[in-house]
Amino acid sequence: MTTFEPKIVCFSCNFGWGYLTDPEVREMQIKHWIPVVCSGKIDATHILKAFRSGADGVLILGCVDGDCHFQDGNYQTRKKVQLLQRVLPSFGIDPRRVRIELSLDPEGNSIRKIVEDMGRDLRPMGPLGMKEISAKPVATR
Amino acid sequence: MWKTVNTGAARAEEALKQFLPPCQLKCPINEDIQRTNVLISMLPLDPEGAREGICQIGDYLHERNPLFTVCGYVCGLCELECNYQAKGGSIRRRLLKRFISDAYMDRIREKEEINVEKTKEDVAIVGGGPAGLMCAYDLSRRGYRVTIFETSDRLGGALWLIPHYRLPEDVLTTAVNNLVRICEADVKYNARIGEGKYSLDKLRKDGFKAVFIAKGTPMPRILTYGREKVEGQELSGVMYGQTFLYEVSHGNIQPNYFGGKKIIVIGGGNVAFDVARTARRLCGETTLVCLECEDKCSKDGIPADEEEIKGAWEEGVQIVYSRGVRRIMGKGGKFQRIECPHCASVFDETGFNPVFDSTDIVNIDGDVLMITVGQGPDRSFLQKENLLDDRGRLAVDPLTLQSLNKDWVFIGGDVRKIGFMVEAMHEGLVAAESIERHLRGLDMRAGRKREYEPQDIPFRRIYKHEPEVVWIPPEKRLHFQLFERGFTLKEAIEEAKRCARCGPCVSCKACLAIGIQHSLPVVEVNEETCSGCGICTSICYYGSAQWRFKDGGTVSTTDTFRCKACGMCVVACPSQARRMIGDPMDTRIQEVFSTLGA
Amino acid sequence: MAKKRKIAIYWLGSCGGCDEAIIDLNESLLELASEVDIALWPIAIDAKYASIERLGDRELALSIIHGNVRNSEHEEMAHLLRRKSQVVLAFGTCACFGGTSGLANFLKPNEIQNWVYGEAPTVVNRAKTRPQAETTVGGNHLTLPVLLDQVHSLNQVIAVDYYLPGCPPPVDLIAQAVHAVIEGKLPPRGSFLAPHKALCDSCPRNAAKPPKIELTHIRRIHEVDEDSGTCFLARGVICLGPATRDGCGATCLSINIPCSGCFGPVEGVDDSGAKFLSALASLIRAQSDSEVSGILDTIPDPAGCFYRFTQPSSILGRHRK
Repeated sequence: MTTFEPKIVCFSCNFGWGYLTDPEVREMQIKHWIPVVCSGKIDATHILKAFRSGADGVLILGCVDGDCHFQDGNYQTRKKVQLLQRVLPSFGIDPRRVRIELSLDPEGNSIRKIVEDMGRDLRPMGPLGMKEISAKPVATR
Repeated sequence: MWKTVNTGAARAEEALKQFLPPCQLKCPINEDIQRTNVLISMLPLDPEGAREGICQIGDYLHERNPLFTVCGYVCGLCELECNYQAKGGSIRRRLLKRFISDAYMDRIREKEEINVEKTKEDVAIVGGGPAGLMCAYDLSRRGYRVTIFETSDRLGGALWLIPHYRLPEDVLTTAVNNLVRICEADVKYNARIGEGKYSLDKLRKDGFKAVFIAKGTPMPRILTYGREKVEGQELSGVMYGQTFLYEVSHGNIQPNYFGGKKIIVIGGGNVAFDVARTARRLCGETTLVCLECEDKCSKDGIPADEEEIKGAWEEGVQIVYSRGVRRIMGKGGKFQRIECPHCASVFDETGFNPVFDSTDIVNIDGDVLMITVGQGPDRSFLQKENLLDDRGRLAVDPLTLQSLNKDWVFIGGDVRKIGFMVEAMHEGLVAAESIERHLRGLDMRAGRKREYEPQDIPFRRIYKHEPEVVWIPPEKRLHFQLFERGFTLKEAIEEAKRCARCGPCVSCKACLAIGIQHSLPVVEVNEETCSGCGICTSICYYGSAQWRFKDGGTVSTTDTFRCKACGMCVVACPSQARRMIGDPMDTRIQEVFSTLGA
Repeated sequence: MAKKRKIAIYWLGSCGGCDEAIIDLNESLLELASEVDIALWPIAIDAKYASIERLGDRELALSIIHGNVRNSEHEEMAHLLRRKSQVVLAFGTCACFGGTSGLANFLKPNEIQNWVYGEAPTVVNRAKTRPQAETTVGGNHLTLPVLLDQVHSLNQVIAVDYYLPGCPPPVDLIAQAVHAVIEGKLPPRGSFLAPHKALCDSCPRNAAKPPKIELTHIRRIHEVDEDSGTCFLARGVICLGPATRDGCGATCLSINIPCSGCFGPVEGVDDSGAKFLSALASLIRAQSDSEVSGILDTIPDPAGCFYRFTQPSSILGRHRK
């Protein structure tokens, strides 16, 4: 089997991650990167659609608990992720494919490494391959 | 490092519909407190990197308030109204300002002149205190040729009353001297308007088309008992606290000037405490005597700030409450003692009306007596120049600050109504606007009265306590250096993060200023799909998502002044009836998802 | 006499409840029967597949199809009826979204068969017999439909013109839909013939909802006292009403049962389970991660709860493996 490179969609909050660095620089460092103004704007639907579009993992980078510029966006998203992680196994999806980290990194230098670390953890799970599944009927025999 | 953008979409707008955070409402000049708090919280943690950001914040503050560096040492009115007071302690905004100002001092000295062509009329400003200076700055930027007439040999006015252990001399001189340099205003020192060759009419003849009188309150109030002046105020050893403070501020007094002497200070206000603590620092054994009582909650409570009283007490000042002075007694022309009856009540329904108990008298001996019971304007000047009404009060329109007797004369600051430094600064700005309207023939009153409402604090799960303010221990404090330790960079960032950002987005826009987003999104409710389930109302931390009755049912609405477009209601809505307009997130998500298949 | 229009009413993977709902039209059925010719309706009429095969393409004015597509026979009939019909109405939640039996998508087909024919405690099957697709008995070749690898909603198999959700759809909506077809006054193709908003819009308990709902506990229906006035969600009982389309008349609510989501998502929403998940998570009030976990532990089967009627039409679809 060829070495599989997990595709990780990374959402990061602009108030906590990388606001001291030029966006163009960050853009080059992180593939599949979606900067958001608050991690609270991330819906469960977005995470599911990411998987459906071909992502193998979804990483959410939010601010430190208690420091959200919008009071509690990070806390709201963390609850959603916790609940989602209990729903994913019923679909046969390993809950570790969704990860949330709440911290502060004004330069944004640690983002690349966090994505790589997650990639390393996802590699043994193999590709999720949801983009390939079709909704067309297939007989079992 | 982010670069602040102050133009176009990122410029904070005056609150459109009368909402402001309570701190900005309390600030007499409506400073952009919230915006600059957010910017401070986004500074880098390393001091070198932060320098650039601090200068950007300082530049922004200085443009609107060239005396902001002084505010960081002596003001803090905003903290009285801060919504966080009830939740763990006001945000220590004064120390945040001080943090910026400490790092900004060099920058002020290097700032370039405004380079505005002075094509408009000549305006005279009488008085180089905070009111006069702000007026000069504003008018200069509008293109007027401004001349400040200052009685003494230095600018700053009543700010020189503030002892150097609270306001370092260098902060004051840097601020005021550079202000006049930067706005290229002309200053005439030792020029007493109203005396000798200078009168208002002379100014008029010399070509000044308008005058702003901001002479302040240079006359100390004399001590009275009942309605009578107390005898003995001319004895040697008796002086007025105000005069004393001005003397000390020149820096010519020896450190142990009062060594071995007993000093008595009469008065219960902040200035009296400044006098008492200054006397302590000059090695005097100091007692403060006031009419008021110790309980600040009662109607007769001592007016000085808690911090001053605490500081004074720690430094060894004796405080004698509820005593008046009936007689000042001396021997051989020299002050010896005061006779103090107990004061049973200070205020009644008629106002200031002290009631004394002559059966309860104490005598207090001393070498020096400082009378600090208030200050007043130079009434003879006002009278001579015909600026009073027929009841002897200042004839001035409180909204426009225009004299009711002479339409080219404007009056503001302590001379009109005694108040705080920033209130005087505000009057300087009001006068500048009035002078412009007067000289340009515009309506004097239109649009000037703005009614604002304070916004409540957003809900937070975790409210944090205010940080402790650190003072040098009292035994090490008896000198004229600052005794209050300011914030470090880390502490400033932490404290700025604690600010709850109560105010509306339009008057802040800090996020736009540093590129966190590029426009303020708006939340829209689709009333065709909204079922009125109320989940958005539950989750909104700002009280923006609300119910509204419609067609026999309920739907949700968004109060755009409270809404911060945080998006939590959009995500929580189980009907997807809310959406964010002007947020590029959805487009970006589509783009990224479409590349995943490759 | 003008030739009457022909319609078909057919069941795929269905429980029969949708047929009962149509029969609940009562006397109106007779009116319907006088307007149209019912060419196929297994529960009521003895027509054969061959009679449908003989029809010309698009000769049926309307096919009302209920039930989901679970096996090859369903698939075949869905395609057949599509070819022969002008308008196809996906009738009932199973046809619209996959329905309750769509929960089978959380399992693999062979897991289901092994349980039903082997591991279930009441089954004795020493010979390990399993249903076969074909066999020969007495020289005759017999076939049975085979299971598809997942349960499908109707629109995953054929193009659907209109949707009428409900488990089953309520009689008033059925009557409205049928009239609309007969009179030709239909909304654009692809529309749902039901209200657009969520159930809270017509729920009698909505008006008395507290301004802030903060869930510190999640409870089952038997753990709370009966109270016909208060919102279930406000008391910590999971009610899918906010994420479920209105139109059922809040029948469950009126007998003190919280909504289980049988009408599927609100207009414009693809995946009601995900939306409800976001909404529920938002309402939970707890400080630490472990407190949140503690609250969530009381929901034994969140996926089943949120996707009870809509699993096949969810964003993630069937089980991965």
